[in-house]
Amino acid sequence: MPTTIIETSGLTKNYGDICALKPIDLLVPEGEWLSVMGHSGSGKSTLMNLVGGLDRPTSGALRVGGEDLLALSEDGLARFRREFVGIIFQQHHLVPYLTAVENVMLAQYFHSVPDEAEARSALERVGLGHRLKNRPGELSGGEQQRVCIARAIINSPKLLLGDEPTGNLDHKSTVMVMELLKELRAEERFTVIMVTHNQEVASWGDRTIHLDDGVLVREERMSA
Amino acid sequence: MMRLLRASAAVVSSRAVTPLVIGFFFLLYIGIAFFTDETLISLMAFTRRSVVLAALLALIPLNYACRIVRGAVKQRAVHRIFAGKSADYRSELFDETVELCVTPSFRTLEMRLISEGYKTRRSEATLAAWRGIGIFPARMLYLAATFCLFAGILVSITTRTSHRQMVIEGEPLPMADGSGGRVERIILANATGAILSRTLTMEVAPSNAGHGKRIFGLYPPSLYGGAFVYPRYLGLALLLHFYAPDMPAGYEKRCILNCYPPGKEASEVIPGSPYRIVFSIPEPAAGSDRYLSYMAENRVLRFKLLKGNDVLFTGSAPGGGEFAQDGYRLAFPEIRRLVVTDYIGDYGVLFIWAAALFFAAAVFIWLPIRAFWPRREMLFMSAGDVTRACSRAEGGARRHAGVFHEALDLVAAGQKQPEEADKTLSL
Amino acid sequence: MVAVKFIPQILAWIGIVLVLLRGFPGRRSLVTAASIAGFTLGVAGTVILFRSFSGTTPFGVIKSALGVNFLVLWGFAVTVLYRSSGQGMTNWWEKFFGSSLCAGGGALLAGVMAGAVSACRFPGADATAVALLLLVLVAGVLALEALAVENMLPASLTVTPAGLLSIVVSLLLLSASSLLRLDLFSPLSMKVMKGIHDFVHQFMESILVPDHLFVRSVVWKYIGFLFGKEVGFWGGIIIWFTPALLITLAVGSQRLPSVAHIRQGAQRRKLLSDALRSRRLQMVMPLCSLAVFAAAAYQSSFPSVEYWDPKPVAVTANQSGEIFIPKQGEIDLLDGKLHKYLFKQGGREVRFFVLQNPAGQLTVDLDACAICKPDGYGQAEGSVICYYCKTLIPLETVGKPGGCNPVPVHFTEKADGVAIDSVTLINSWDTTVKVTARGKEGGK
Repeated sequence: MPTTIIETSGLTKNYGDICALKPIDLLVPEGEWLSVMGHSGSGKSTLMNLVGGLDRPTSGALRVGGEDLLALSEDGLARFRREFVGIIFQQHHLVPYLTAVENVMLAQYFHSVPDEAEARSALERVGLGHRLKNRPGELSGGEQQRVCIARAIINSPKLLLGDEPTGNLDHKSTVMVMELLKELRAEERFTVIMVTHNQEVASWGDRTIHLDDGVLVREERMSA
Repeated sequence: MMRLLRASAAVVSSRAVTPLVIGFFFLLYIGIAFFTDETLISLMAFTRRSVVLAALLALIPLNYACRIVRGAVKQRAVHRIFAGKSADYRSELFDETVELCVTPSFRTLEMRLISEGYKTRRSEATLAAWRGIGIFPARMLYLAATFCLFAGILVSITTRTSHRQMVIEGEPLPMADGSGGRVERIILANATGAILSRTLTMEVAPSNAGHGKRIFGLYPPSLYGGAFVYPRYLGLALLLHFYAPDMPAGYEKRCILNCYPPGKEASEVIPGSPYRIVFSIPEPAAGSDRYLSYMAENRVLRFKLLKGNDVLFTGSAPGGGEFAQDGYRLAFPEIRRLVVTDYIGDYGVLFIWAAALFFAAAVFIWLPIRAFWPRREMLFMSAGDVTRACSRAEGGARRHAGVFHEALDLVAAGQKQPEEADKTLSL
Repeated sequence: MVAVKFIPQILAWIGIVLVLLRGFPGRRSLVTAASIAGFTLGVAGTVILFRSFSGTTPFGVIKSALGVNFLVLWGFAVTVLYRSSGQGMTNWWEKFFGSSLCAGGGALLAGVMAGAVSACRFPGADATAVALLLLVLVAGVLALEALAVENMLPASLTVTPAGLLSIVVSLLLLSASSLLRLDLFSPLSMKVMKGIHDFVHQFMESILVPDHLFVRSVVWKYIGFLFGKEVGFWGGIIIWFTPALLITLAVGSQRLPSVAHIRQGAQRRKLLSDALRSRRLQMVMPLCSLAVFAAAAYQSSFPSVEYWDPKPVAVTANQSGEIFIPKQGEIDLLDGKLHKYLFKQGGREVRFFVLQNPAGQLTVDLDACAICKPDGYGQAEGSVICYYCKTLIPLETVGKPGGCNPVPVHFTEKADGVAIDSVTLINSWDTTVKVTARGKEGGK
């Protein structure tokens, strides 16, 4: 029986008068790939930010990896993000003047200490062993996203969050990135929460939840 | 007995010996400082006279000699292990050692390490990888240098002899057994080097005792009859004829005048009389070399004749000349060059010079290697289901450790082929 | 105003208790109690010393104890550096440093030294019972305050035994350097200067280096530096700072834990990063001790003591060449203060002084000694100080020749004044100054 890695109860988030997330109860077992779908402004990124410790909920309970995120200080949250979470953004956010391997080493630096050999191995695992010394501007969109994946998993996170990681990619690159994530998940056994508005991308997950105006309206299991 | 010997060897070759001995002498120095201002000289004298202190000091070169042997043995052991000639690895030879319960593919690992810039040697059950140049030669030179330095200090303190003699142009070189050749010439000349402003050369003819013609310079001083000929000060050998109204028979004396640099006074007492003559070299013209008179063939001696504490008169005369006044006559038939020379019997100096050379060589070798090509090695040995891995680095340890750990991950993961992953994931 | 004088002692005491508490976590009560007890013992012991011995002996005892502390620090620093680069060393001594015996004993010793140095602020008859009790009381209160402050320090700021010893010794020496008679740095510089002069001379003799007449003046200028006063200062600085530097180096070169047995990269790096962070934080104390040593050296070199140094009064000789200085008049020679005079003749100048020592005897001395350059003397706290080498010469010994004492001059004491032969005075000055000048500039 897999353990629960994410547990929310009555989780809400308000931005001033705007209620981005209404009370949400959610259980995510360890190792699951959960896709979060919804239209723009439905609260999916908000949910991801709360679960990833990037933001604090307004009310409710939130336990991730056994830690009560509401009880953590700022330093504690920073430590939690460093050690527990890997994030892949739609916009990459790679440092343009660093090479691919240096971008991955940057993530190592903020976690602990940089290790070039390990960073090289990580890039080889995502199929970029021949592009180590290239800067982001010299890489294609798919390659950049693969660098992001390497950067996100280099610190062996238990939870990988993706905020529309394929939003800027074409179909072929999208499939490639999804296949890579699936392979890595099988090897590393992390839990994936993927925010997307794309049904095809969502179908790669084990389960999809639908949010509408901050409310969890539907949940569906994907067939194997 | 063997255990006792091994324990003694371990103690004598311990790295703690040198600081402990130096610390002891330092404390002794501090203790002596409370009783005398001539602290260092007193400490050296004590060490020379005391067998215990000398034996204690001798521990340092002995320690370094043992460390040279131990270092060589250790280096040989490591070399044999990496050459595959020995499986007797000991954890103290390496920085990190680990065992994994896997049977790895050394071929994949070898390719990986080659791509990281390592040279490799692979056999059925072992894989050795290395890069860089070892500092073993530099380390041996350093240990040898330190051995020579402290051996030299020990020999110097306990056996040094020093005799001061006057080497006079035209006279035999003073030796204890009278076997020195004749000093043909003493030449003081200006030098063009960066360190010495003048050179001093003493040319000595062959002697009856079998010494050949020798030319002694300043540095390094030469050996003659087992002692270093160490020129110290310049002076003049004067043949003085003195006549006074109350000494009509006159007085002749060969005087040794330590009267350089110009302005320095050297006095000669006329025995059995109230007379004293104070000699000096006249100051040269402004801007000219102060030792011009020594370099030149003709030199003038200034003098002051005193009777008791009263100065009778002053004057000057050249070599071969004379001065007469008021019934007094001073003649200088001969004024010859003289060098106040120490004969130093001290073979410790040779050790110290050797130490300086060895130190310089060690630094010259070590610095570039350590900066640019430090030695890094790793070794994988497979025996049955167990793979043993060891690593050592003389520099760049963190980077090397990263490669080593990645290699271990590769070994533990089994047959992973990075190039196959590239093929499936590239666009 | 009296309290202001105690500022170095107060700061040092708070610092000592703080680092002792941090160095022996889990033994806070023991450390606090032992340090306060030690302080009290130190104060009491010093009072007994002053009551039992006169003159400079009590200061000499405490100064020697401080010197021993510094030597122990040196030995410790060398030991930890050697151990840090070794392999497979046993850690029995680390167990000892974690024990109650070490905590209590160390705190007690540190307290004794701090108390002794603080009590030296009240030498001899100035030490009333009330003042001493107040001193001990203040020390106790400060120790308890340090207990509270220590709780506020971040828990990650740990200290190794070597770092602890370094900071404690540095604080003790800082405290001592504010007292002229306990200062170690200045006498150390002087001894180092003499030591280096001797060593260089012997070394050059040993390896048969040619005499300076053969060496270029430019080269000799650099060698001459080794025979100057500055070499004593810089040599003293090196000896002063080296233990703390060695300890910092030892901490910095500690081996990182082996992580080869861990197969997850992030875990390996986390372990290494934690070890590196811990190592960096352990370097804080030794680095702080460097700053404290620097402060002590500065305080020693620029003491906040005002020396009595009167402007020399010009005197002349009569026709028979005698200089006469009346005992009473504009200047009272019998007031126990230094009185300086200047005599000029034939283009030559001589500085000398007249002083009545504590035994009531008048003494006439050159304002120069036989060892140092003639920078002159000042008077402070029962001694005269040589401005060149900062050696303190007790007033009781002024008039006796030797060491850094001012060169005594023969004089005749008359009922109404002192008479000095001008020729004797000039010859004495000429000989002294020429010797010191030749000694400082000639080298070999």
